[in-house]
This record gives sequence, structure tokens and C-alpha cells, in this order.
Amino acid sequence: MLAKTPLAWKNLTHDVRRLVVAICGIAFAVLLMFTQVGFQNALFDSQVKLIDDLQGDLFLISKAKFTLAAEKRFPMARLNQARSCPGVLGVYPIYTELTTSVVRRIEKGMGNLGYPLRTIGFFLDDPVFHSEEINRQLPRLRVQGTALLDRKSKQTKFPFPLDDDAALEREYLELAGKKLTLVGTFDLGTDFAHDGNLIMSAENFADYYPHRVRFGDPLSVIDIGVVKLLPDADPAEVRDFMEQTLDKDVYVMTREQFRTEEIRFWDDSTPIGTIFLAGKIIGFIVGMVICYQVIYSDIADHMAEFATLKAMGYTTRYFILLILTEAVLLAFVGFVPGTAVSTGLYSWLSARTGLLMVMTLNGLLFVLVATVAMCVASGMLAVRKLLAADPANLF
Amino acid sequence: MNSQTTIPATSGAYSGSMQMPRTVQVQGLNHYFGEGDLRKQALYENHLEVRRGEIVIMTGPSGSGKTTLLTLIGTLRTAQEGSLKVLGNELNGADRDLIVRLRKEMGFIFQAHNLFESLTAYQNVNMAAELVGLDPMIAEGRITSLLTRLGLGHRIHYKPKSLSGGQKQRVAIARGLVHKPKLILADEPTAALDEKSGREVVTLFQELARDEGCTIIIVTHDNRILDVADRIVNMVDGRIKSDVAVKETAVICDFLKDFPLFADLTPNTLAEVADQMMIHEAQPGDVVIRQGDAGDLFYLIRSGRVDVLINDGTQERKVAELKQGQYFGEAALITDEPRNATIVANQPCVFYALGKDNFRAVLETSATFEEELRQALFRRQ
Repeated sequence: MLAKTPLAWKNLTHDVRRLVVAICGIAFAVLLMFTQVGFQNALFDSQVKLIDDLQGDLFLISKAKFTLAAEKRFPMARLNQARSCPGVLGVYPIYTELTTSVVRRIEKGMGNLGYPLRTIGFFLDDPVFHSEEINRQLPRLRVQGTALLDRKSKQTKFPFPLDDDAALEREYLELAGKKLTLVGTFDLGTDFAHDGNLIMSAENFADYYPHRVRFGDPLSVIDIGVVKLLPDADPAEVRDFMEQTLDKDVYVMTREQFRTEEIRFWDDSTPIGTIFLAGKIIGFIVGMVICYQVIYSDIADHMAEFATLKAMGYTTRYFILLILTEAVLLAFVGFVPGTAVSTGLYSWLSARTGLLMVMTLNGLLFVLVATVAMCVASGMLAVRKLLAADPANLF
Repeated sequence: MNSQTTIPATSGAYSGSMQMPRTVQVQGLNHYFGEGDLRKQALYENHLEVRRGEIVIMTGPSGSGKTTLLTLIGTLRTAQEGSLKVLGNELNGADRDLIVRLRKEMGFIFQAHNLFESLTAYQNVNMAAELVGLDPMIAEGRITSLLTRLGLGHRIHYKPKSLSGGQKQRVAIARGLVHKPKLILADEPTAALDEKSGREVVTLFQELARDEGCTIIIVTHDNRILDVADRIVNMVDGRIKSDVAVKETAVICDFLKDFPLFADLTPNTLAEVADQMMIHEAQPGDVVIRQGDAGDLFYLIRSGRVDVLINDGTQERKVAELKQGQYFGEAALITDEPRNATIVANQPCVFYALGKDNFRAVLETSATFEEELRQALFRRQ
């Protein structure tokens, strides 16, 4: 009995039916926002899945390479300069091709149209991939004209038998006009720019794409340089050193920077970020309308009571705090079930679409802040009605 | 010297005992509703004084402005013209802070109970206690005893939904009283109550007025509670038509009844006569009336003593001494002759004086006993 009368909470919970409707409404808005955040994260995560799958502490790319899909390369010499920097354990080149990397399936002597996918080449002795599955199959790639196929490549464009390695090997197909044999599969995933992936040895890569350099060694220009550091080296320090030492035509980035920059490109420079932003705003507005409705009708139903409080000497400050409290309470009681349902939806969607939908801390915080903001905003809109309550009309 | 005032005898300005400070002082108060062409005056030149510990009942037909006056006194409307002092503070031009402070010293009881459905009776009352920062332990005792007193002891933790209309109204009354307000403004507080609980509420009002010096203004049409009023104010068309101190009027009527010419008058007519009397003061040695002057007033001695002197042509002789409750000056009014004696105050005196025309009017046109009986019977329907 010592605490002040919790009027906000009491008013909120008094009408159970209205409370349930309010919770459902706000939970729905929360769900909408979580769906947007989830899809966005999942899509952005798939944009940087290659970075996540690569080993290495620092990465070198050409300054002209604004995204992984841009075919801008830097000379081998940069990698050699990087190798000589203190703290470096090893540097490994990664080669990628997209536009000329066209796979045509030959069936009954006829080739289909052919669709581009990404070919990734590397020296088989370099520790480049995390994936145990890839590393186990490396010996098979030593044979000329072989590659591993990404199981998640689009089935409509690359309809190969994925479960049966023997059948896969019997497939007739051409890559960049040359015969290719698929000797196994691995797991990487598609993104906005890439419908599928192949992995092969650097030597095979040079065979398929001799035109990468007009004259000379096609392997002398590199797409991504992977730098592995000694265990006691500080990535940030080494990065700064390389930045100063290396010629200025490359970026040196830590794993986190590389990831962030890539996501930033898709977020800022393509409509994707805007589309998801619009989705989030719609969720926000839906929530605001519902929340406004709940708070407004609560105020409208209690005008006489609030006017009585005014007559008693309760001030504007009290009423604003009261509605603020009510709004924040609403936000939380709606957020909890909304999050629970969203978590369920995430795992269902993950199972169905293969997109990686994970409830991240950042996502949680974002939606929580948005939910509180939307409730507080609608509360402040509705409070004007309360402040208009006139105790003179009570007599 | 002797001073003639325009203060009515029934205003209670003089009551024979010490005067309490004024809780409410209304002077020349005008109020308007609407603006421009639609501007309509609701209150005209209102004057009202209510003293500490008084219970004032305001009556009048609906639309007479009594509610407007009540909301103005309660700071719920902004005073526009004239002076309105409440608890010693001028409200015309008062700032927000002062208004909020004053509101906390007042208790409002509205016609509708206006309880929060979501809060229990206790919590509803506690909203008022919390606001003034009452110590929670003290508040708890006070809320419990108030609700028990109002017959809700067994329903303290019930929500309004499970209370009857009268019970809700009593919770609202407890809410208006819990913070020991200095001024209580109530609008038909007993309308929703039965005889017994209505009586309990007004008894509570009386105790608050007597024991805690609480001033209470009640707007009501409930004539069952008229007996608690110290003063009855009647408003018609935005004007205070009569403002009568009940006890003092009873005293005057008692005195007037002893006057043989008025002996046959009914209480109703006596009260009307009392209403027309004005207060008149005199210091020792003051000549109130002089022998030979034309007579224009009839005097009733409210307090003090006077000497009656008659000049028989050679010397002035004291023939009598008059005291409280006695009267003089009637002969000249009845016979239209000059004063037949001189009256000199020998103590500080207060008289209630009735003008010649009024005096005659009472005698000539006042209803006869039978006529008034007919009136009374007619009104019974």
C-alpha cells in the first residue's frame, strides 16, 4: 500500500477484452517489423556468406570493387607486398568470374541457353575455406576440368542431380565453352547477384578464363586477397600498417569491415534497403494506429474521471507521465508475445525457404526501440485529448 | 455619530459573536459565456461572502448561474470581471501554480461520482490523498475510517462495478473529504442517496465545519438537508436574489414577533420583513432619533442599550431604558407625526432598521393569516 496507485497499469488491465485486442494489435506490428528485419538480415547475410565462409583475418580488394559481384581486380604484386608485412602468416589469392562463367547443360546433343554463375578459384594447398566438406573433396579438384557445384544453386537454371555424385559426374556440361565435370557438391548459397557457385582449382580456373588478362598470366590479377595473421598479431594494427605500405589501389579491411562494407552497398546503393525500410515503416504505422486507438479510447472513456483528477489538482505533467507509462507498458506487453510469435515464424521460414532467419540481439533491440517509440508517439498524440478535459463541465 | 449602512440585517454581518475570516469573497463578479455576438452574460454583479466554518446552501432554478458561480469559486473557470478571493487569494488573474495549489486545498463532490472503474473504492479515495502527499499510514487510517463512517466498511476493496449508485456517490464524497480540504464544493451531493445516508453525509459535513473549520458550499434542491445550512443563497437569472444567514434571521423573527403589530404575521412574512431591515450602528452618546424630527425608520435593538429622553418643553427627562430585543420609532411611522422622544445610545449599539415605506407596506399589504393558509395549501399539491 506504500507505492502510488498504479493508475496506468490498472486502467490498461481493467478491460481484459480491450487489453487482449491491444496486445494482439501491437504484437502484430512487432511481427511485421520482425519479419522485415528477419528477411533483410537473412538477405544481407547471404550477400556476405562467401566472406563468412572464408578463412583469414584481413582481406584485400581493389578500390574499384564496390561489391563482391563487381569484377574489379588488383595485381598479384599487392599480395606479395602484403606477405612481407610483419605479423602476416600467409596470403592467399581468390579468383572469381561471373559474366563469362556461363554453364550450359548438354542434353541429347543439344545445349540449353546457359546461365551465369560464380566460379571461385583458389590454390588447393591454400587454407582458404572453413568448410570441412570442401576441404575433404579437394583431391578430386586436382583433375583437369573439374569443379564442385553449390547445392543451393538455383534448381531452375542448374537442374543437376545433387544427391548422387556418380550421376552428377555423368552430366555433360560446358563452362565458358569448355567441357566441365562436376565431381561433388558443397554448400554456399545464392544471393542477389549470384544464382549459383562453382569451386575449382586456380589451375583449372586459368584454363577456363585465360582472357582475364589480355597478355600474360590470367592468375596475375586477383579478386580477393585473403591474409592470415600470426596468432599474436593485432588485425587492426596490421591493417593500418598495410594501408600505409601498400600501393593505394587496394583496400585493406578486417573481416568485420569487409562484411559491413558489402552490406552497406546492398543497403544504401540498391533499392533493397529502402524496400525493407518501407516494410518496417508500415509495421510501425500499423502499430501506431492500433496503439493510438487503444490509448485514445481509454482516455475518451474516462474523460470525466480525468477531469475530476484535474479539479483535484493533478497537473498536466502527471497526465503526460500517466499516458507515457501506459504507452511503454503497452509496448512491452505487446512486444513479448510478438517476439515469441516472430521466433516461431523465423524457424518456420528458415525451414521453408533456406534463408538464414535468426533472432539477433541487434534485431531484438531495434524492434523493441521501434515498438516503444511507436507507442510513445501515439500516446503523445492521444494525450492532447486528455489535456482538453475540462473540469468546469463536471458540475 | 451614528452610521446607516446598506448591509441587510439578515446577511449575518452582525451575529453577536466573533467573526471568522472570509474563505470566499466575491465582489462585483460578472461572467460571460461565448464570444462576439454570441456573448451572453451569465453572472451579474455578484456579491457573496462565506466565512470559515460556514455551510452555505445555494439554490435557484437551473440556469440561474449557481453552478457557474460554484465553478468560478472552485478555480475550474477563469474569473473574467470583478474580484474573487478564495482562501485569501485573488483568483482573477491567478497563475497556474496558484490554481493547482488552491485546488489541492479544496474538495470537490460532483453530481456524477466519476470513479475510476479500474480502481477499488480505497484506491479511488487514495488518489486524492496521494496528491496532497498525505503520509500513507495516516492516509490508510483516514480512508478506512471515512469509508466505514459512510457505511462502506465492508466494501473498501470493492471496485465501483460491484457498488450501488449511492455507494459509489459515498466513495466520491470520501474522495472529496480525505485530504481535509479547507473548502468543500458540492453539487447535489445527496441526490443519489437515500434519507439515511444523505443524513450521514450532511452530519459529516457539519462535523467538518464545526471541528475543522471547513467551509462548505452546497448546490442542492434537496430540502431534506436545508437544516444544516448556516446561510441560504438564492440565485435567479445570474443574480444573487437573497443571501440569508439562517440563525440571525431566526433571531430577528423572534424579536419581531414580540412587536404587537407584527404578532399575527406568519414566519414567512416575518422573514420577508427581516430581509428588508438594514444594519445601523451607534456609539455611546450618539443620538439615534431626535424628538420633533420627522420619522422615517423603525428600529429594533440587536444589541446594546439606549435611553429614551422626552423633552416636555422645559427639560429633557429620561423616561425609560430599552435593551436588546426591544424596539422604538414605530409611533411616528404609524401616526405620521414628528418623533415624540429622543433616543440616545448609552452603549455601543447595533440596530436593525426598517424604512417607513416598508414598515407600512408590511402592515397594509402583508397577507392575512387566512390568505397565507390558502397559499400554503395551494403549494402542497
